[in-house]
Amino acid sequence: MAEPAAQAVDEMVDGRGQLRPHWRDLMGAFSMLGEGALAERGRRLDRGFADDGVTSVMPGEAPLRWRCDPVPLLIQAAEFATVEAGLVQRATLLSRVLDDIYGAQDLLASGALPPAMVFANPQYLRLGAAGLQGPKLHLYAADLIRGADGQWRVKADRTGRAGGIAYAQENRRQLARVLPEALRSTGVRPLEPFFDQWQDALRPLAPTGVGNPTVALLTRGTQHRHWFEHMHLARLLSCALVEGGDLTVRNGALFLKTLRGLQRIDLLLRQIDGRLIDPLELDGNSVIGVPGLLDAARAGNVRIVNHPGSAVLEAKELAALLPALCQRLLGRALLLGNAAPADVPSLAPCLTDGRLDARPVVWRVFLMFDGTAWRVLPGGLARIRDDDAEDAPLPGLAKDVWVMHDEQSDIIGPLAVPAPRLALRRTSGALPSRVADNLFWLGRYVERLDSGARLGRAALTRLGRASRPREFEELQTLARILADARLIDAEAVASASLTIGLHATMHAGGAVGGLFANIAGLTEKVRDRLTGDMYASFTQTLRAAQEAAKSPTADGLGNGLLAISRFCTAVAGLASENMVRGGGFMFLDLGRRIERARAVVREVGFVLDLPARRIDSGLMLALELCDSAITYRNRYLNVLQPAPVLDLVLADQGNPRGLAFQLVAMRDLLEDLGSEAGVRELLAGSAAGLLAEVDLVVNQVLNAPDQAQEAALLPSRLRAMGSELDGLSNRITRRYFAVLPATQTVGLGLSQVQGAA
Amino acid sequence: MTMRYRIRHETLYAYADRVDLAAHMLHLSPRMLPGQQVFDASITAEPRPSRMSWGLDHFGNQVCWLFLDHPHERFSVTVQAEVAVGFAPPPVAELTLPWEQVVAIAAAGGAAFQASEFSYASPMAPADAGAGAYAAASLPAGRPILQAVLDLCGRINREFAFRPGVTTVNTSVADVLAGRAGVCQDFTHLMIAGLRAHGLPARYVSGYLRTKPPPGQAPRRGADQSHAWVGCWLGPEHGWVDLDPTNNLVVGDEHVVLAWGRDYGDISPVRGVILGGGAHTVTVGVDLAPT
Repeated sequence: MAEPAAQAVDEMVDGRGQLRPHWRDLMGAFSMLGEGALAERGRRLDRGFADDGVTSVMPGEAPLRWRCDPVPLLIQAAEFATVEAGLVQRATLLSRVLDDIYGAQDLLASGALPPAMVFANPQYLRLGAAGLQGPKLHLYAADLIRGADGQWRVKADRTGRAGGIAYAQENRRQLARVLPEALRSTGVRPLEPFFDQWQDALRPLAPTGVGNPTVALLTRGTQHRHWFEHMHLARLLSCALVEGGDLTVRNGALFLKTLRGLQRIDLLLRQIDGRLIDPLELDGNSVIGVPGLLDAARAGNVRIVNHPGSAVLEAKELAALLPALCQRLLGRALLLGNAAPADVPSLAPCLTDGRLDARPVVWRVFLMFDGTAWRVLPGGLARIRDDDAEDAPLPGLAKDVWVMHDEQSDIIGPLAVPAPRLALRRTSGALPSRVADNLFWLGRYVERLDSGARLGRAALTRLGRASRPREFEELQTLARILADARLIDAEAVASASLTIGLHATMHAGGAVGGLFANIAGLTEKVRDRLTGDMYASFTQTLRAAQEAAKSPTADGLGNGLLAISRFCTAVAGLASENMVRGGGFMFLDLGRRIERARAVVREVGFVLDLPARRIDSGLMLALELCDSAITYRNRYLNVLQPAPVLDLVLADQGNPRGLAFQLVAMRDLLEDLGSEAGVRELLAGSAAGLLAEVDLVVNQVLNAPDQAQEAALLPSRLRAMGSELDGLSNRITRRYFAVLPATQTVGLGLSQVQGAA
Repeated sequence: MTMRYRIRHETLYAYADRVDLAAHMLHLSPRMLPGQQVFDASITAEPRPSRMSWGLDHFGNQVCWLFLDHPHERFSVTVQAEVAVGFAPPPVAELTLPWEQVVAIAAAGGAAFQASEFSYASPMAPADAGAGAYAAASLPAGRPILQAVLDLCGRINREFAFRPGVTTVNTSVADVLAGRAGVCQDFTHLMIAGLRAHGLPARYVSGYLRTKPPPGQAPRRGADQSHAWVGCWLGPEHGWVDLDPTNNLVVGDEHVVLAWGRDYGDISPVRGVILGGGAHTVTVGVDLAPT
């Protein structure tokens, strides 16, 4: 990297090589940590981001690393006040320009704006003469650099989606965890009040007359690089996180498709390219927008912020015009100047290989319009390596920005203004159908993984000592179960290759490997429904299990299977301890119950599929697979008989590993889901019917003259129950997770024009 | 001279699969203009939309939005209107501004900013170097703008074959230039791209051409269909004049204007997004008869 030009200001050290006074407390705190401690904190910071999934777009895919330097950028109170005043003015000015561009166009008519800046700008959207109501600019960010004269100047205006604010908050959260002493000793303004105010500011943005608006943040989903930011922002603002497919426009209003039907959305936080939000009027190829959204917005039934065309102000030519526009529109001089292309950023200390290097720094400051005034986040996102990239997340290293408290509290400023009283808020309880679908399958896959691990471990213990014919037979049964559950290749049924089969299934291309990938993907998709700790635990234990499972040795395989079981137990425990008993948890649980019921039915069906004289071996295997051997021994000591065993694994509603327990839970969940009466009876009734069938089956065995012979008749009935469970799962899918046909655009393509002359 | 016409324009979509939900945006209502009066315009759709809304688009065209919430396998929309047209004759070509001056006025913006908008490339009429080179032959230095555009219009009409079916809406200006054949949309986009390449404002006008030519004249090309032609800007004094390169005509009383935009994409007559539907066929019928 080339040496920065000599005249660049150093943030920490003055011209005589002395530490600037406002850095003393921080540097003091760092030196108190001791030799090498800062580097260690830096590593902990990296780990913190990795553990919380801030580094990666998708777990398991090439990670886009998010890294934050442990040394923050320090901004003095007076300096911040100057920047604040300058940016509030700039935001006000930009809002006025935006209003004019999408309104009267006086600035164009008078020649104050060159036509090319607007009309040749792909971000200028031709939305219709009526325009959209409400403030057009709500979130705005400016990239600042400090020039050689020590003044902060604006290098770029971000009016499109002003990305990066969630990262700023996340940097602070992680830094506070890793460097609490430094944060305490420096006296830093907290970020939380800004987010609280922001959340309250959303209410008056909604269409007039909507008292308690439903707010949604429109995202492109887990596969997109802004996913973390959108997910985190939705959580910070307690709003719904939605994809285009979750939304529909009916009768000129915007709705979220939830399990309880359509739920009105009043305010849409636009975080995707404005050109993609409505394929009916704008980019017809967009599959992430909502047809008719602009019609609903024009009708005043939904507000969109920022305005879909707000990025027009990111035109490079605009900055040079701002001084004149400021005089014209606000009647005063522009407070905060523009950086010249030749200006070099100031240098900030940055931890590199254990020592502090001075590197060029750019500071992104975020502003939010609360309906009356612009508010500035006292902090921001600083970046080392100025590559002028358009959007966050950016490559390279980030820095937290610490705005210091004013020591002289005699200054009358924003600090003296009492904080507005916070309004009570409740998050929206309605669950989007897509999220319910994902949770349901997450539950199913986790449980499937668990049952696979259980079977694998049962097989491994036998493989170690498979000399006796009984164990050989049990191994064959286990192989058949694994094959039927599609957890190993059918060819691996021969016990000689069962080890190979187990190793193979663990790998990326194998069935268990596939489950790992599915679970990772679904975890990411439901991430906004999990607490940060839950998400971290999910992904960490999953990664640990995935790693352990890759071991090529038999011991390693055993450890891998154990790690999988631990992961599944952790998911179950975390979910039941941390998730509110609403729709989300219910679908996760429903998925688990169906999958476990399916596994029990399959396993018992296969273990009973033995010659009657060998039924004891099958019964014992059934108890082992259902984790019920100890309970059985407590109840019946060492006497093994078919009816008591089958009662315990199939009909006993108190055995959490048994079939009846799952069916009761499914029946109750389906009744609680509160769908329309007919459907509820159909679905819950199906579970109840299975429960009755189980009772009947066990009673028949109990009352049969020869229990073993009667039990040998069960496999086909259990297979039928398995089919019934599959059918129930399909019916749940159809009822709750509407499978929609594809959308297409007509009238712009071939067909429309064929006849035209 | 003023002519009075009755228009009927029917568009029918037949879908292979059921459409669950549909939204359509129509640019089908004739524009009210100094040279064009519109009487009794009506839009009817089948099945009945659950919502219809009206408004003006960015260019001031009448737009109607239709939303269908109920499953359907066919969708038809019919516009009927009565229109009186008689656009003022163009100014004397020799007396119009040199074309370079028109370019300069458009580039400067200010009072002329609304015309400036049409001097920049748009998705279907991009800045195409070939189109620019083709148009250059009509733009010798200092030539009055109307002479220049009339010349360009005539050259396209003579040098390109009218041949339906050889192009689609996705055919680029460059391909039309290479193939020397196409339909009205292609000629219109080509002429617009050529003029814009030199900084001249030009816009895409959609509408209709009378079905039967005036007595004693040859049949017009492109009648019985949606038609398209070019709006050319002559500068602040004379404003816009419409030229039809398909028929080498100055638009007077044989054309009815529906809408204008930067290119076809801005004013597609029936644009929609449907949920489901599978493959589909479209049948369009246009009738423009003098009353």
